[in-house]
Amino acid sequence: MTALLELTQACLGQRLQPITLTLRADERVVLLGASGAGKTTLLKLCNGALEPEAGSVHWCGQPHQHLSRRQQRRIGTLWQDLRLVEELSVIQNINSGALGRHGLLWALRNLMGPLEQDCCLELMNQVNLDASLLNQPVRELSGGQRQRVALARLLRQLPEMVLADEPLSALDPTLADDVLNTLLLLPASLISLHRPDLIHRFDRVLGLRHGALVIDAAPETIHRDQMEWLYASP
Amino acid sequence: MAVRITLKPALPLIPLLPGLSLLGIVAALLRDGHGGGLPLLQEFAVAAVHPSLDPVVLGSLLNGLQITLIIALLSWGISSVLGVGLGLLCSITVSEIVTGVSWPAVLLRRCLAPLRAVHELIWGLLLLQVFGLNGWVAVCAIAIPYTVLMARVIADQVDCHVSPALPVLKGSGAAPWAVIFTGLVPPLVQPLCDHIGHRLDCALRSTLILGVFGLGGLGTDLSLSLRSLQFQEMWSGLWLLAIAMVILDRCLRMLRAWSRMLIIPVLSPLIAITWGTHLDLQLSWPVGQWSALFANVMDGSQGLSAALEISWPGVIASTLWITLIAGCFATGLPPLLLLAWPGQTSLRIQDLLWRAFRLLPAPLTALLLLMLAKPSLALAGLALGLHHSGVMGRVLMDDIRNTGLRSAQTLKSCGASPRVSWLYGPLADVSRQYLTYAIYRIDVILRDTAIIGLVGGAGLGWQLMEALSSFHWWLVFWIVLTSAVLTLLGESLGERLQGSWNSRAMAL
Repeated sequence: MTALLELTQACLGQRLQPITLTLRADERVVLLGASGAGKTTLLKLCNGALEPEAGSVHWCGQPHQHLSRRQQRRIGTLWQDLRLVEELSVIQNINSGALGRHGLLWALRNLMGPLEQDCCLELMNQVNLDASLLNQPVRELSGGQRQRVALARLLRQLPEMVLADEPLSALDPTLADDVLNTLLLLPASLISLHRPDLIHRFDRVLGLRHGALVIDAAPETIHRDQMEWLYASP
Repeated sequence: MAVRITLKPALPLIPLLPGLSLLGIVAALLRDGHGGGLPLLQEFAVAAVHPSLDPVVLGSLLNGLQITLIIALLSWGISSVLGVGLGLLCSITVSEIVTGVSWPAVLLRRCLAPLRAVHELIWGLLLLQVFGLNGWVAVCAIAIPYTVLMARVIADQVDCHVSPALPVLKGSGAAPWAVIFTGLVPPLVQPLCDHIGHRLDCALRSTLILGVFGLGGLGTDLSLSLRSLQFQEMWSGLWLLAIAMVILDRCLRMLRAWSRMLIIPVLSPLIAITWGTHLDLQLSWPVGQWSALFANVMDGSQGLSAALEISWPGVIASTLWITLIAGCFATGLPPLLLLAWPGQTSLRIQDLLWRAFRLLPAPLTALLLLMLAKPSLALAGLALGLHHSGVMGRVLMDDIRNTGLRSAQTLKSCGASPRVSWLYGPLADVSRQYLTYAIYRIDVILRDTAIIGLVGGAGLGWQLMEALSSFHWWLVFWIVLTSAVLTLLGESLGERLQGSWNSRAMAL
């Protein structure tokens, strides 16, 4: 399988110790670890929001800081705080996922009114979001609805790899299952979770403890005591 | 794929739309422009890097700057202290705690509103007619509207930040003033410090404008230098002013974090008077005759004929037109420039540009523009708009800095271009508060048309100058009344718009 993302001895002060890691296309990876273990920092290194203090991060063989816009849009992120544009409607937020494929004029047109409505409705249907919310301002939505708008925006981006930071937190079990199913339909993913019970749904498990990568294995090889140690206090 | 074409601009797009007025302004400038003043303008630009270093000039400018600072400090201190007191009296919440009814506060607010609606320059010119040239004329001209404006802001803040503990305190049987000082005052301290700090900056700019119209200080020096085309001297004054404003800005930023900052306005009149003892401030007790003024106005026979002397629809329309042009320019230019040139480096450079626009008083900007084009409403609007774009630019920069650039980074990491990242990121994040402030700013611009009218030969300001020059007091009365009514109507409309956006601007 093709290597999409490669981290070589990438580290970030006390937050993340040197990590060497390769994530391949067609691979679904779950990232586990206690709060403060460095999961969000690792995801931010992967999507270029943070630069490593030492080591390197490559996407398809290219250093992350030299990626073109076309290459950048191949990595999609579902942020923990969602990062929706609060002043825009659902459709405008979903369309903002396509901004990497369009120019300023398209972006301005999207602010003038609904654009590419059918495509957005299809995505809303895919994430179980009611079509009547299409023109609703996102700041008026509930937490679960906002989560699904962010997911629809991510799908609109058509990424080759998804990085998701605790996408199931604050969701009820049914909704969490729907969101995870949708994410796992995407070609490649690295998803941080606080749900060790779901690891069997992934191809690979990464475990972080105090900023160090301590588990990198197939889910069926992970023992219960390893999980308990991962979440244990120091 | 079916695309429904419904043009309904989203909020982040609205701050950019007034920028379309630039097209009209450019067209008007091309129509009215002349190249005659280009060499002068070039001379003006060159003088910026070659200011006069003549010790006599510098001494005179320093003297003027000190007078300006002292007048600003005095008027700021007086208006802040009186404004806080009046503000508490104007608060509906306070009135209900003390008297059990709200009408005394509402009545007081209504009575004070006309004082606020009259521009400080108009106050200055009226007081000048009565008392002659005296330092207190400038101080009172600023302090009167500023006190009432401060009172309005304080009252609004008190009424907006009603503590949930208030009913508990009232129920405990505490005395009314104990309830006010325990439940109302503590949450007010920080917004009050911020607002009072901003008012000093405003007082400084108002003092400069009064100076341009002959009430002394650096404004007078700058105006005289410009009128005699002594650009090097003018730039020495502008650089001194820039240094003073930067120092003042830094001091205020530091002081705002200090909870005892509220002592400073109380002490500032004493500091200013002590500082002013060695300067020719003419701070003697003003003696004048209101009777002459009132005798003319009391002669009701001239009232109606004076009211019919000017074409009100035309004059009011020209005033509103200048307001619209200036408002659109001032609101649209900062976001447009940021969209044209986004980035952290450009934020710093644009910050300098907005400082420069704020530095030059609008009447002097108008005089400079008159070197390039014939007087017109568009030119008056542009002059006013340039000055206020400096204020709006600062507001936009501050809002973006406070909100952070995380949203732009998020969009950029998805492959969006820098412009699009800023449009959907920081500009979208701050659009609501920016527009809310723009509405308030348009109120200020409407008041400021008085100062541009006096230069540009248009609107109510110009008519007022004519009426004052000919001691036509009835006409002065009608113009001031019309100006006040227009301002209050604009204010009321602005408040409704702010309410529809669920947001309220802190009047600066």
